[in-house]
Amino acid sequence: MNNLPLTLPVVTSKSVRYKNLALIVAAACVIGISGCSKPEPVDQNAAQFDLVTADDANEGIGTYVLPQDTAILDEPNADEIFYGKRLLNETKRLLPDHVGASMNCNSCHISQGKVPLGDPYINSYNTYPRVMPRAEKEIDLEARINGCFQRSMNGKPLDRESPEMLAMIAYMKWLSQNTPRNQKVDIANAGQVDTSLVPDPVRGEQIYEAQCAACHGDNGEGLKDSRGDIVFPPLWGDESFNIGAGMARTYKAAAFVKYNMPMGIQVKGLWGHGNVLSDQDAVDVAQFFTHKPRPDFAGKVNDWPSGNKPKDARY
Amino acid sequence: MKKWPMIIIAVGFIGMALAFTLGQILPHLRASTSGMEVDITDPELIEEGEYIARTADCVACHTTLNGEEYAGGLPMLTPLGAVYSTNITPDNDTGIGTYSFDDFNNAVKHGVRQDQSALYPAMPYPSYQIMPDEDVAAMYAYFMSGVAAVSLPNRDSELPPVFNWRWPLAYWQALFAPKREFVAEADDPILARGQYLVEGPGHCGSCHTERGLGFQEVALSNLDSDHYLSGAVIDGWRAKSLRGEHRGLGTWHTDELVEFLKTGRTDVTAAFGAMAEVVEDSTQYMTDSDLHAMSAYLKTLSPAPGKEVTLPPKEDITTQKLLDGAYDSRGAILYAEYCQVCHRADGKGVPRIFPALDGNSAVYSHNADSVLQITLSGGRMPDTPHDRMAFTMPEFINLSDADIAEVVNYVRNSWTNQASEIGVDDVVQMRDFLNKKPKTATDLPPDLSVTAAAEGANP
Repeated sequence: MNNLPLTLPVVTSKSVRYKNLALIVAAACVIGISGCSKPEPVDQNAAQFDLVTADDANEGIGTYVLPQDTAILDEPNADEIFYGKRLLNETKRLLPDHVGASMNCNSCHISQGKVPLGDPYINSYNTYPRVMPRAEKEIDLEARINGCFQRSMNGKPLDRESPEMLAMIAYMKWLSQNTPRNQKVDIANAGQVDTSLVPDPVRGEQIYEAQCAACHGDNGEGLKDSRGDIVFPPLWGDESFNIGAGMARTYKAAAFVKYNMPMGIQVKGLWGHGNVLSDQDAVDVAQFFTHKPRPDFAGKVNDWPSGNKPKDARY
Repeated sequence: MKKWPMIIIAVGFIGMALAFTLGQILPHLRASTSGMEVDITDPELIEEGEYIARTADCVACHTTLNGEEYAGGLPMLTPLGAVYSTNITPDNDTGIGTYSFDDFNNAVKHGVRQDQSALYPAMPYPSYQIMPDEDVAAMYAYFMSGVAAVSLPNRDSELPPVFNWRWPLAYWQALFAPKREFVAEADDPILARGQYLVEGPGHCGSCHTERGLGFQEVALSNLDSDHYLSGAVIDGWRAKSLRGEHRGLGTWHTDELVEFLKTGRTDVTAAFGAMAEVVEDSTQYMTDSDLHAMSAYLKTLSPAPGKEVTLPPKEDITTQKLLDGAYDSRGAILYAEYCQVCHRADGKGVPRIFPALDGNSAVYSHNADSVLQITLSGGRMPDTPHDRMAFTMPEFINLSDADIAEVVNYVRNSWTNQASEIGVDDVVQMRDFLNKKPKTATDLPPDLSVTAAAEGANP
C-alpha cells in the first residue's frame, strides 16, 4: 500500500507534475488516515487491584496486577509452581490418599484462586500465620491448608514438608507477586450476605432444583467427567465436605453461592459465574444444602474452645 | 470533436432513464394476484400461520433485543451501512395493517412492497418463493389477527445514495431471485417435506450457502449446485457446511440433528451464536416429524465439492499431556488456566452443560471465525424447556490478541482435531468487528432470576 506513489508514471510537464504531486499527497493522506485506523493487536488487559498496608486499608501504595499462568515460566521454580497449581485444581485425582471427599481445593477457590469474593489465594501467602477465630490460636499456611484437607475435603493432612505442600505454597507465593509482607491486595475473600435473614429451606429446595441441580445433581451427588474426575462436587452425602467445613455453615455458604454460583451463566467473569441470587435466595438455598446429611468431623471438639461459636456453627 | 461528450452524456442520461423506468416496471411483473379470500378470523388458520411463521423464523430479524415482537428495527450490517428490518405488526400507520393478502404474499415471496418497490434481499424471499400460497395465507391470518399491533416507524437504511435507491434492486431480483417452484428431489414424502422446509421457510441457505459478488446465494437448492449449504461466513460466525463431508454433517447422525434442532444441544455440542437464536426462536417449536424430515434430508446431501470427505484418523496425545501437566506450548498453559475446568483435559466437556471441543465440527472447521468470536465475546446456548438451564461461555476479551490466537490454534489442533492455523491478525479483525456488532439475545446471559425460574421450569 505504501509503495503506491512509486507506481505512478514518471511525468515531465511541470503543471502535470504538480497535479500529480497533489494526487500523491492526497493518496498519502488517505493511506495515512486509513493506516492509522487499522487496528493493532491488543495486549492482555489484566485485572488490577490496589495494594494497601496491612494496618490501614485506606492508604493506596501501589498496584497489584493479576498474573496469567504463562508468567510462571519466568520463575526459577516454574515446575514446582505448576505442580502446586495442578494439585489445587485436581486434588482428588493427584492426592487420593489425602482427599476423602469428591472435592478439589479449587472446587471452592474459583478460577485457581484468582477471583475476589471467590476465596482467592491472592493474599494467602501474606495473611498467614494469623490467629483464626475457630481455633482461637495462630495458624500458619501449612496448617490452614491441612485444615481444608481434613474438613472441606474430608481427608488427611499432608506432611508439612512434603513436596506437595511446598508446591501449593509455591503457587500461592507466586500469586502474591512479591507483595511485601506488611502489605496486602485490597480485595475481599468473600462477599457479604445479610446474616439477620431467617432461612427458608423449603424455598431453598425449590431454588436448588431450578438453579443448582442441573450440575450438582437432584440428590446433591455432583457430576464427574467422562474420565471419572470431578467437575461439580457433591453438596451432601458421603462424598461431600464434612460438617467441620466453612461451607457447612449457612451464612458462609450463602456468601459463596451468591457471588460465585452458578458457573457458566454469565458472559462476564472467568467462570461466567455468580450474582444471580438475592441475599434471601442465597440464605435459603444454603440452609437447604448445608443441612443435608454429610460426614462428621472428629476434630470438631477443638473448635471455638472458649465457646464463642458463630450462630450458624453446626456443632 | 466537442460534440462527443454531449452525446455520451445524453445517451447515458437516456439509458439511465430507461433503466429507471424499467426498474419501476419490473416489480409489477413479479407481483401476482391470487384472488384468494383469506379468513383472518379463523382460529385454526391463525394457529397454523403461527407455526409456519416459526418455521420461517420471522421473529429473528423482525424483533430487536428487548423490543416488541415483530416491530422491526434490527440492524443488518452491510459493508456500506446498516439496513433495518421493518415493522410487520398489523399497525395501520407503521406496520402492515393495510396490507391485503396479495400485498403480503408479494412481499414474502417476491420481495415486492405494497408500494410496488423492491425489498432488500436481506429478506429471504428467494427462499420463501417456493412456499405455497395457502401457507402464506395462514401466516397472513396470524400476522393480521394473532400479532399485537405496535406503533413503531420503520428506520431508514444507512446506505449511501445510489445504494439506497430501490429501483436497481428490481434488476437484482430479476437476476438472482427468478420465479421458481419447489421441485422435490425424491419421491419419499418425508425427504420432500424436509427438503421443502430447508429450502423454503427454513431458509437455511441464507446463512449456510456462500454468497456471490451480487450478495446472492450461489445456489438456492441442491438441484442448482452442490455448493448449496456448503458453508459460509455471516456476522462473524462460520455457518458450517451442512453437506456430507467430514467438516460438514458427515459425522452427525440424523437423531443427533433432531436433538440439536429441538433442544440446542447434544451430548457433545451446543448451538451458539446465530444458530442458538435459530433454535431458540424457530426450530425448538417445530414438530418432531418436521425436525426428523429436515434432518433426514440434510443427511442426503453429498459432500461439498473440493472438501475432504473424511479426515485422516489422528491419535489423541493431548489428554495425557494435560493430565500430566506436560504443557508443551503456550496454548496448553492458557487452555489449562482458562478452559480446562469446563471443557476438561480430554476436551470432551460435560454432556448438555459444556460442549466438547474434541471432535466438534464447529471447532475444527476450516474457517475459525466461530471459535474466535465465541472465545472473545462469549455467548449462551438456546433456552428451551427441554433443559433446566442454558449455560454460557464467558467472554475472554481481556486476553491479548496473541494469546487468543494461541489458545484457538491449540483447541483446533489438539486431541483428534485437525484444522488450519490462524494468525494474530485474524483476532485483531474479529475484535474490531465485534466492537461494531450489536448484541443479540444469545450474546447475553440467561434470565436466572428466581421469578423467571418460578414461571418457567419450576412453577
